[in-house]
Amino acid sequence: MKKEVTNIWIGEQDLVHSEKFIEDSKHELSLLDSLGNPEVTNALGSNRRDFLKFLGFGLGAATVAAGCDIPIKKALPYVTKPDSIVPGIANYYASTFVQDGDVASILVKTRDGRPIKIEANDLAPSNYGRTSARAQASVLSLYDTNRFATPLKKEGKAFKAIKWEELDADVKAKLSSAGSIRILTNSVNSPSTKKAIADFAVKYPSTKVVSIDPTSYAALLDANQANFGKRAIPTYKFDQAEVIVSFNADFLGTWISPEKFAADYVKKRVVNAEAPKMSRHYQVESHMSLTGSNADNRILVKPSEQGSAIAFLYGAIVGGGTSMDLNEKAKKALNKVAAHLKENSGKSIVLTSSTNVAEQMMVNAINNTLGNYGSTMTMGTAVYNRQGDNKKYEELVGELNAGSVDVLIIYGANPAYTLGGTDAISKAKTKIAFGMSNDETINLCDYVATTPHYLESWGDAMVSDESLSLIQPTIAPLFSSRQAEESLLTWADAPVKNYYEYIKANWQATAFKSQGAFASFQSFWDNSLHNGVVALNSSSANPAFTNAPIDFNAITKPSKAALEITFFEPVSVGNGVYSTNPWLQEMANPVDRTVWGNYLSVPVSFDGVSAFDGFQGLKDGDLVEITLGGKKHTVPVIQQFGQHKGTVALALGYGRTVAGECGTGVGLDVNPYVKKVNGYPVYFSDAVQVSNSMGKEKEFSCVQYHHTYGVKDIDKETGKKINADEAATVFFDYFSGIKGFQGAITDRSIIYTTNISKLKGDLEVLQNKRKHAQHLNEQQIYGGHDDLYARGHNWGMHIDLNACIGCGSCTVACMSENNVPVVGKKEVSRHHEMTWLRIDRYYYGDVSNPSTVYQPMMCQHCDNAPCENVCPVNATSHSAEGLNQMTYNRCIGTRYCANNCPYKVRRFNWLDYTTADLFPGNSIKKFGEETYYGADNLTRMVLNPDVTVRSRGVIEKCSFCVQRIQEGKLMAKNEGRSLRDADVKTACQTACPTGAITFGDMNSKDVLSKKLKNPLNYIVLEEVNVRSSVQYTMKINNRDESLEA
Amino acid sequence: MGFIQSIRSKILTVLLLGFAFCLNAAPSSATGKTLFTNNCGSCHAKNMKTAMTGPALAGVESRWSNKADLYGWIRNSQAMVKKGNPRAVEIFNQYNKSVMTAFPTLTDDDIASILLYINEAANPPAQGPTTQNVVVGEEPKSNSWFYLGIFGLLALLALGLASVISNLNKMAAAKDGVAYTDKTLWQKLTSKGMVSFLIFAGVILGGYTTVTRAVNLGRQQGYEPDQPIKFSHVTHAGLNKIDCQYCHDGARRSKHSVIPAANTCMNCHKAIKTGSKYGTAELTKIFASIGFDPTTNTYVSNYENLPQDSVKAIYTKWIGDKYKEATGLASLDDNGRNLVSDQWKNIVSSLTSELDNKVQGPIEWVKIHNLPDHAYFNHAQHVNVGKIACQTCHGDVQKMEVVKQHAPLSMGWCINCHRETEVKFKDNAYYASYAKLHEELKSGKRDKVTVSDIGGLECQKCHY
Repeated sequence: MKKEVTNIWIGEQDLVHSEKFIEDSKHELSLLDSLGNPEVTNALGSNRRDFLKFLGFGLGAATVAAGCDIPIKKALPYVTKPDSIVPGIANYYASTFVQDGDVASILVKTRDGRPIKIEANDLAPSNYGRTSARAQASVLSLYDTNRFATPLKKEGKAFKAIKWEELDADVKAKLSSAGSIRILTNSVNSPSTKKAIADFAVKYPSTKVVSIDPTSYAALLDANQANFGKRAIPTYKFDQAEVIVSFNADFLGTWISPEKFAADYVKKRVVNAEAPKMSRHYQVESHMSLTGSNADNRILVKPSEQGSAIAFLYGAIVGGGTSMDLNEKAKKALNKVAAHLKENSGKSIVLTSSTNVAEQMMVNAINNTLGNYGSTMTMGTAVYNRQGDNKKYEELVGELNAGSVDVLIIYGANPAYTLGGTDAISKAKTKIAFGMSNDETINLCDYVATTPHYLESWGDAMVSDESLSLIQPTIAPLFSSRQAEESLLTWADAPVKNYYEYIKANWQATAFKSQGAFASFQSFWDNSLHNGVVALNSSSANPAFTNAPIDFNAITKPSKAALEITFFEPVSVGNGVYSTNPWLQEMANPVDRTVWGNYLSVPVSFDGVSAFDGFQGLKDGDLVEITLGGKKHTVPVIQQFGQHKGTVALALGYGRTVAGECGTGVGLDVNPYVKKVNGYPVYFSDAVQVSNSMGKEKEFSCVQYHHTYGVKDIDKETGKKINADEAATVFFDYFSGIKGFQGAITDRSIIYTTNISKLKGDLEVLQNKRKHAQHLNEQQIYGGHDDLYARGHNWGMHIDLNACIGCGSCTVACMSENNVPVVGKKEVSRHHEMTWLRIDRYYYGDVSNPSTVYQPMMCQHCDNAPCENVCPVNATSHSAEGLNQMTYNRCIGTRYCANNCPYKVRRFNWLDYTTADLFPGNSIKKFGEETYYGADNLTRMVLNPDVTVRSRGVIEKCSFCVQRIQEGKLMAKNEGRSLRDADVKTACQTACPTGAITFGDMNSKDVLSKKLKNPLNYIVLEEVNVRSSVQYTMKINNRDESLEA
Repeated sequence: MGFIQSIRSKILTVLLLGFAFCLNAAPSSATGKTLFTNNCGSCHAKNMKTAMTGPALAGVESRWSNKADLYGWIRNSQAMVKKGNPRAVEIFNQYNKSVMTAFPTLTDDDIASILLYINEAANPPAQGPTTQNVVVGEEPKSNSWFYLGIFGLLALLALGLASVISNLNKMAAAKDGVAYTDKTLWQKLTSKGMVSFLIFAGVILGGYTTVTRAVNLGRQQGYEPDQPIKFSHVTHAGLNKIDCQYCHDGARRSKHSVIPAANTCMNCHKAIKTGSKYGTAELTKIFASIGFDPTTNTYVSNYENLPQDSVKAIYTKWIGDKYKEATGLASLDDNGRNLVSDQWKNIVSSLTSELDNKVQGPIEWVKIHNLPDHAYFNHAQHVNVGKIACQTCHGDVQKMEVVKQHAPLSMGWCINCHRETEVKFKDNAYYASYAKLHEELKSGKRDKVTVSDIGGLECQKCHY
């Protein structure tokens, strides 16, 4: 059943014009229920507010009368100041973010010796220098209060701090008497670490190394081993591909190197309106992934049909194979896809995240037949950031269960959580862990050789044959930690134990030898350290494709069960790897827009008129009992458009039991229900039952329903669709009864979308609408400030919605740059999240299989700003450079501005989220932590010293990173030259992996002004005449409508 | 005497000013002083003898061949340079082509007043001998006594008038033959009028005190704390004329001007090992902080982890040796031992705190200029871009034995300067993008661009 909707929508509630939703959308912020809340009443038994009312004046007056003493402040200069450090000036160091297979070349911004921000490294080749939300958030984990402070030894059930000498002596004794030593790592892509492990193995020859990934890539690697004799991943060139077919691979969100892929991908997605041309992306999946939401066509199959779908395409392209059950619609669609692929031989990519080797080999064969190897994909430059081997892991589990492992060294992997390895690991005689903070696996170990954070470490990484990158410390270790490699070398009594010297020697012997640009090693090393990355010569040709036999019987058989569940890796916390990071917990998952926990995605189906039969009548926020593998759990529900009927989905990575204060007990752990087939984990199941609604989730936190605008309602009198906020009619003439709407314009422009085939016509519509709005806007009596803005700078922004994939990197970067506080789940559920930059997700088109558009939304810095007019104390005002300025210390918290903002981008500090003020009752425990999160000196080290930490009771919002503007201007002034757009880049702009955001001076003729000439541009809510400084582009898809027929 | 003199001079000043402005009377040095402070003081030294941004002004009249040229120069120096007046061109080149602000509004009398004041200030009446090096801080002149006096006079007048009224009432009553009884003092004091006046006065006074105190909360103009080292800016910046930014090297490139690290001190004090005033007492603190052994002229290796006794041994030996050198004694006498132990105690107390009991490590200076956390200030913007002299905000530090907060550092003070200060608009290519303002300057529509003209009064220039 196909049902086209002409407008965008957020969820079911606005499609059916739910009364509550419409009512809510009229209020900027939900009401505090603090009165009578026991948590915020003080010990005297009286209400906190009353108490403050009475106390406030007395205290203030007494303070003033007493003329309190000003505390003596000390200023400590350096004893010997390093030349490179000027207090107050940021230093940037090139380094590499490496965490469980996620790799990115980065720049680390340090202020007065403290790393405070991660930036992209433009010098890295092939877009490996783009940052994801995870990379952006990694700086916060450096200041994690749950980090180990010393090496530890298990005594009884608890860890006890010991000295390094004691640890070394104990471990060496165990190692030298061990008959078999096993090292269990995550994917190690560091040549020097590999060498250190090899050196260790020379001393202890019984050593064997096993690697695993948090989510498995083993089938892909093993298939490539069979086809190319190389257990690696090819380099995918999405910028060369005209047709992309992905079977459930979330390559823009989580799969292999999403931010690199995204940067390549959008090169074929950003449309030039004069010569429209873009790639077509088909996604075959059941649950809408971030990648699926960006696809042109989604072909819906059940998770167990994935193998059949691949086999069907294999049959259509390579021929032969086997035929299995598959829904008819998918078959039809795949036939068209096959034809399209054949037309684009050598210009397409087919990929899958399947953990079935036979399926992976079929995909390899398809790519080979299409001639994609050597053009859009190449094994010649292999990628090494995922190396996990589940088969070897299962062998290790066998050994462990047999009791034949004497010493097990855990380095980075967390199998007790991801692979249910608790029992097996416990059986190793001695368990030694390398780690920064406790997790499920480390908790089982006897010794912990505490390791530093990557920002305190030396290291190197080889993500692909293309380049080699360095990790350098940007701060002295905060705790008594030692790098894992140094520990291994110490235990192996290696001649060089200092890991820095070790890497240098290794680079001198390898990387330096293979290059010709530098004559001396020192200059090569200095240059590598400066750039953070060295390009390698990797022009080796694609290895020959071996037609290894495919075991067609091993393909997943479609299940006959009525309900299936997909387990997917969330973009934010991964498979539990990033659970300890509050920024990522509070970052909304791109598609379902939920935070702090996993929600069961259930399909929605629209009857075509106004009602949803949905899935068992479940609505957003309902609690259901889910039966998985015979066990019952209660989970909240989120309705997901574009979810295949008869399937549900639940994210991995939640429900961790040992993940510090922030990550423990958030959501439900579904890893125990991930079955293993031939040793490979299979991320779906048909052993699932879902009950009917059992009540409502109290802290339902889906931020898409917060801060809505432009919501439509049906006018009761006329039956016409109007904007909900305009239903508040005003009487023009009370006696004659003439009524009108405030604003009187009912068609609000938030999103413009079109299909590439209809671009010309829709572009005309867009431009006519803009002209009409502009014409109306000219009919005003106020002159505006154009003369003022023409004086110097006039800051503006351009956001290309065709380049935005919704990954959320910018939102985390914004939190990091602007000291935006974390508020916790309860506060988010009350619409109190503080994010200055949110990414709105809208669906459009076919209700049963919609397209998606993401829209980063922040303060639009309106020239005719409605917030400014209503502030009674002038706390928000306009600058001569077109900035809408928010002055926190003037704000008295009336919130009129937030109420009057048409974009709903102003945030109010309801409570003392930064724990900066005097009254403990004003603060809030955000996730059940012991001491207030952010109140300790360690966490506060991450704060940007150039941005005020806001206190309770004030409004805040996006400032266009005014601190960066001022810094850029000053730099130009100091150098006595005019300002270039490159001098000022906002945090969201630098973080965006796809370059969707461009900031600059609209008066100059630099980068921004070129983007502003794009005919696809429009201004959100242009018709309300607030004259915003941010322009968006029309979203264009390349959907083949015939697939949906 | 001083009090009466001060009142007299105040009254005189007030009268003179009144005359000067109301009647445009003959030139006077008092008018000149006001004009000088308002217009010239930021570039020309007040002692008229040292050159700052502009030349020293003592004897300025003798250096110009005719009065008209000098007056023209003061009103608009650039016009004179353009005309090619030799003296004008000479000064312009001598002072690195920095442009003197034009003062087209000054009248001849105004200029005459300024010149009068310059002569007076350049040749002050003879004073008693002052102690060498030490500049005695000028006693702050407070206006409150003056106002109190006026208040007293007015009160007396009011009382006098009240008694006149009372006498007149009495006379009127006597004339009408009505019996009139004097109110007792108590009755007078408890009368409705008196009580309501007192309440009124109480509210006004209380309100005024509350508001002024509240406004001044956190402000500490004149703050002059003792520092761990008796570092003398008089010796360094005054006598030895070390450039401010040699030590405060952050000022030109960073938001912080930076308190110099001990290794900056060592650039000179590796050679100058005893102080001119305190001998070993103060300088040894720097050596003890950084780990320089002045006896051997080397840095102590692994100084950071040296036991306190070894640290003590190094520096007490140095202090003792210097004492012996000065007295010519072969070994320490009682005086010497006391001196060594006193100095060492002082060093320890200066270099340690509750949080840090080690002598080694950074010197904990007391921070004098404290801006609130929500105010952003950048030294580079003012020093390097705005070319503001350090003394504009910090006062004559080169004359301060102990540094003292010169300016109130209040928002009003900042804002006022932003209103008045001219942007170095033509010297910096950055400002080229302000095309419109350049046009206006060219066409003569405006004569200068102040900081406020380019948004210098906006909230988010300092608060973000």
